[in-house]
Amino acid sequence: MAETKETISFQVNGVERELEVSGSRNLLSVLRHELGLTGAKYGCGVGECGSCTVLLDGRAVRSCVVPVSTVAGRSVTTIEGLGSGDRLHPVQEAFLETQAFQCGYCTPGLIMSVVDLLQRKPDPTEPEIRDALAGNLCRCAPYPRIIRAAQLAAATMSSSGERHGDQ
Amino acid sequence: METSESGLTRREFLGLTGGLIVFFAIPSELARAAGESGGGDAPSFNAFLRIAPDSMVTVFTGKVEMGQGNKTALAQMVAEELTVPFSSVEMVMGDTDLVPWDGGTWGSTSVRFMGVELRAAAAEARDVLVEMAAEQWGAAPSALTVSEGRISLASDTRTSVALGELTEGKEIRRALKGEPKLRPVVEYRVVGTSVSRVDGRAIVTGEEQFVADVRIPGMLHGAVLHPPSFGARLKSVDTSRAERASGVIKVVRDEGFVAVVAERPELAREARQLIRADWEEKPHPAMESLWDDLRSTAELADTVTEEGTVGSVLEAAERQFSATYRTAFVAHAPVEPHVALASWQDGKVTVYSNTQTPFLQKDDVAEALGLESGQVRIVVPRVGGGFGGKTNPELAIAAARLARAVGGPVMVDQTREEELTWNYFKPAALIDIRCGVNGDREISAWDCDVHNCGDRGAEPPYGFANRRVRSFGCDSPLRQGAWRGLAGSAITFAIEVHMDEVASEMGEDPVEFRLKHLDNDPRLARTVRAVAEAYGWTPRRAPTGKGVGFACGIDVGSRVAEIVELDVDAKTGLVRISRVVVAQESGLVINPDGITNQIEGGIIMGLGPALREMVHYEKGRILTDRYSKYPIPTIRDAPKIETVLVPNPTLSPQGAGEPSIFPISAAVANAIFDATGKRLREMPFLPDRVLAATAV
Ligand code: FES
Ligand code: FES
Repeated sequence: MAETKETISFQVNGVERELEVSGSRNLLSVLRHELGLTGAKYGCGVGECGSCTVLLDGRAVRSCVVPVSTVAGRSVTTIEGLGSGDRLHPVQEAFLETQAFQCGYCTPGLIMSVVDLLQRKPDPTEPEIRDALAGNLCRCAPYPRIIRAAQLAAATMSSSGERHGDQ
Repeated sequence: METSESGLTRREFLGLTGGLIVFFAIPSELARAAGESGGGDAPSFNAFLRIAPDSMVTVFTGKVEMGQGNKTALAQMVAEELTVPFSSVEMVMGDTDLVPWDGGTWGSTSVRFMGVELRAAAAEARDVLVEMAAEQWGAAPSALTVSEGRISLASDTRTSVALGELTEGKEIRRALKGEPKLRPVVEYRVVGTSVSRVDGRAIVTGEEQFVADVRIPGMLHGAVLHPPSFGARLKSVDTSRAERASGVIKVVRDEGFVAVVAERPELAREARQLIRADWEEKPHPAMESLWDDLRSTAELADTVTEEGTVGSVLEAAERQFSATYRTAFVAHAPVEPHVALASWQDGKVTVYSNTQTPFLQKDDVAEALGLESGQVRIVVPRVGGGFGGKTNPELAIAAARLARAVGGPVMVDQTREEELTWNYFKPAALIDIRCGVNGDREISAWDCDVHNCGDRGAEPPYGFANRRVRSFGCDSPLRQGAWRGLAGSAITFAIEVHMDEVASEMGEDPVEFRLKHLDNDPRLARTVRAVAEAYGWTPRRAPTGKGVGFACGIDVGSRVAEIVELDVDAKTGLVRISRVVVAQESGLVINPDGITNQIEGGIIMGLGPALREMVHYEKGRILTDRYSKYPIPTIRDAPKIETVLVPNPTLSPQGAGEPSIFPISAAVANAIFDATGKRLREMPFLPDRVLAATAV
C-alpha cells in the first residue's frame, strides 16, 4: 500500500516550491519533514495549542490541521521567513526585548500569531491581544510579558510606519 | 560500571588540552551518585570549567536548560568571579559524553548548588592565575588586581596580562578544595543585572533546536503500541496489516513491546492503529472512590517532624480546629511532548532526548538494552519545559531499541494524547490538619498528616512549639511522580488555607496572624511585610466581600508571599483572577529579570491546578488526553502580576524556579473565601464546586 502523491506547488517564505506529496498530509508535517523548516512546532496536532502557527496568505493558521493540498498556489510564511537577513522582524525584536519566553517551544507560533494580529489591528487593545493569542498555549506561562511584547511591537511598528510615511 | 572519571578521559580526547581546568563537586550530588552506583565507583567531581589561552571560558555541567534560564545565570556567576565579559563564557550542558555525572535538573538546584560551586571554582581559577602572575613578576599576590579579565600590578597597571594568556602552552588542573575568596557583592557588574537570555535570538528566529528538530539523514519514526488501560498484559498480537501499511519499514515486537517504524511520524501512527492486539486487562479503582482508597491504603512512611507534646496541648487548647484538604492528580502538559532520537554507530548508541536527568537515562537505556554504560550517550539540547515531568526514560529506551532493530536512526515522537496519558502525574493529595489555639490567641499545637504526595513543604513555616507532621504512602490509582515543587504546592495549599481559616475564626487579620507565628523566621516575616506593603494591605477581618486573599511559604531556601485579587461570578461560579502581588526573597539575585520571569510563570502555571486542571480517569484509562479536555491556563487567564524581589544579597542564591507556585492556590482559595464567605478545601476550584459552596 503506497500513499497517492500529487504535485503541489506553493510559495514558502517567498520561494516557489514544488513537492510530490500526498495532498492529505498536514502542512506542518510537510514544512518540518519535507522542507526542513522546523521553526513551527508540533504541540497537539489537532489545532488546540498554536505552536504550529504559520501565515497562509498573510493570515495565521494552525498548520497541523491544514491539508497541504489546500495551500496549492498560495503563500506560506514561517518564522524562518520573518525579518530580513540579520534583521529581526519588530515582533521578534519585541519578544527579545521583553524576554517573553522561557523554554521557547511555543514562541515561534506565538510570534506568528502576533504578526497576524498586528496586520489586522495595528493598535490592539489588551483584550484584543488576549483574544488573538488565547489559542497559543504556553505552559511556562510568561503571558504578561507576551502581552507586553505585542504592545511593544505594535508601538514600534506604528512609529516606524509613520516614519516610512514621512519619507 | 563506568564513572564520570572515564567520561573525563574521553573528554580529554576531545581536544580539551591546554589552559586551566578547575574541577569541582557538589557533595550532595556525589553522595547520590555513590548511592546509585552502589558506592564503589562514585565520581570525584561533577562539573568543571576551563579557561583557554584565548581567555574564553567554557563550563561543563550535566544540568539542562529547559526554560528556567540556568544557562544564562550560571554563565553570569562565572563571568563575575573571573571579571570577564559575559559573552566570553560558553556553557556545555547535558551531553553525557562531554560533561561529568550529574543527578539531574530538578528541585531548583542549578544556581543554588551548581552555581555556588561553579562560582567558587571560577574564584579558584582566578586566584591560581594571580599566583602565576605574581611569580612571573616577582610580586606578592596581594600586590595584584584583577579586572576586565586582566591581572595587573596594582602599582603599575601597564604590567598586565589577560587571564588566559598565563596558561599559554601549559596545562593546569586543579580540584576545588577550600572555599576561595569571592568578589565583594558591591563590585558586581554581571551578577545582579538582567542580562538577556543567551539563547533568546535563536528562540525568536526559530533556529533553536529541540530534540524533535534534530535531523539525521535517513532517520525514521517510531510509534509504540500502548495497552488499552494501565497495566494490561499483551496476550496476542497480529501486526500483518500494519506491516503492509504505507511507509512502514518494520513492526518490531519484543515480548510486550510492540512498535511500528515508518518513514514519518504520522505513517507510524496510522500503521499502529492497524495492529490487532488482545489484552488482558486489570480491574481498576473508580475515580469516585479515590479519597476513600487513599485513606484505606495509607501506611505511615515518615514522621517528618515531631516537637513538643502535640496530643496533650491540643486537648488542652482553648479552641480546636480541624479540616481536610484535597488536591487532584495534575499533568505536566509541557507544550513540547517527550521525544527521543537514537542512532547507533560502532556498537554505541547516541540518544537525543528531552530529559531532565540525562545521566540517569543513560543508565536506564544501558540496562534496558543490556549495554555497558559507556555504550550509551545521551544528548539533551534545549528542553521545551520540564516541570518535573521529563525524567521518564521510556522513549529513549524505545528509540534505542527501534534504531537497533532497523539498523538506522529512529525518532520516537509522542503525540499530545500519549503525552497526557502515559507520563506520570503529580500525585493527588489528602491532607488532614488539626490545630489548637491557646489563650494568647496563638496556635499552640499543630498536627498534620499528608497522604500520597510525599512530604516536600510539609514542615510548616511557622514556629509552632508543639507540632507533628506525618507522611503516609498510599496505593495510587495512577502512575505518579515529580511535578514542579513536588508536594509543596498541595501541602502549602492546606497549611495556608488552614491558617486563614483559624485567623478568620479568631477574628484576626490574616497577615498579622501569620506574622504572629513567624518570630522563628525573620526572612519570611520580612517577605510577608514586603508583599503587604507593595499591595497596600490594611488590617481586616475576612470575609470582607472584596475577594482578596493572602498566602505565603518557604521552598528551596526562598521565602515567598502572595496576595491575590479576584472576582467570583455568582451565576456561573467562574473565578477570574485580576491581580497578583508577589514578594520573593531568594538570597543573592543573579538575574532579576530572569527570576521575575520564573516567579510570574510559576504563579500562572499554579492557577491551572487551582482553577481547572485535573486528570480524569476511568477503568485505568486517562480521559483528559487533549488540551481541550485538560485546559491549562491561557493568556486570557493571566492576571496582572507585580513582583517584589526582597533583597538579601549577602545570602547565597536560593532556589527560584519553584517557590512562587507554592502559595498561589491557597491565596486564591482565601480570596474566594474573602469574596463569598465560603471555604473551598478541594482543588481545583471548579465553577460547580464554587457554586455548591456558595449556594445557601
Ligand atoms: S500543533 Fe497545531 S495547534 Fe497544536
Ligand atoms: S515558553 Fe515554554 S511553552 Fe511557552
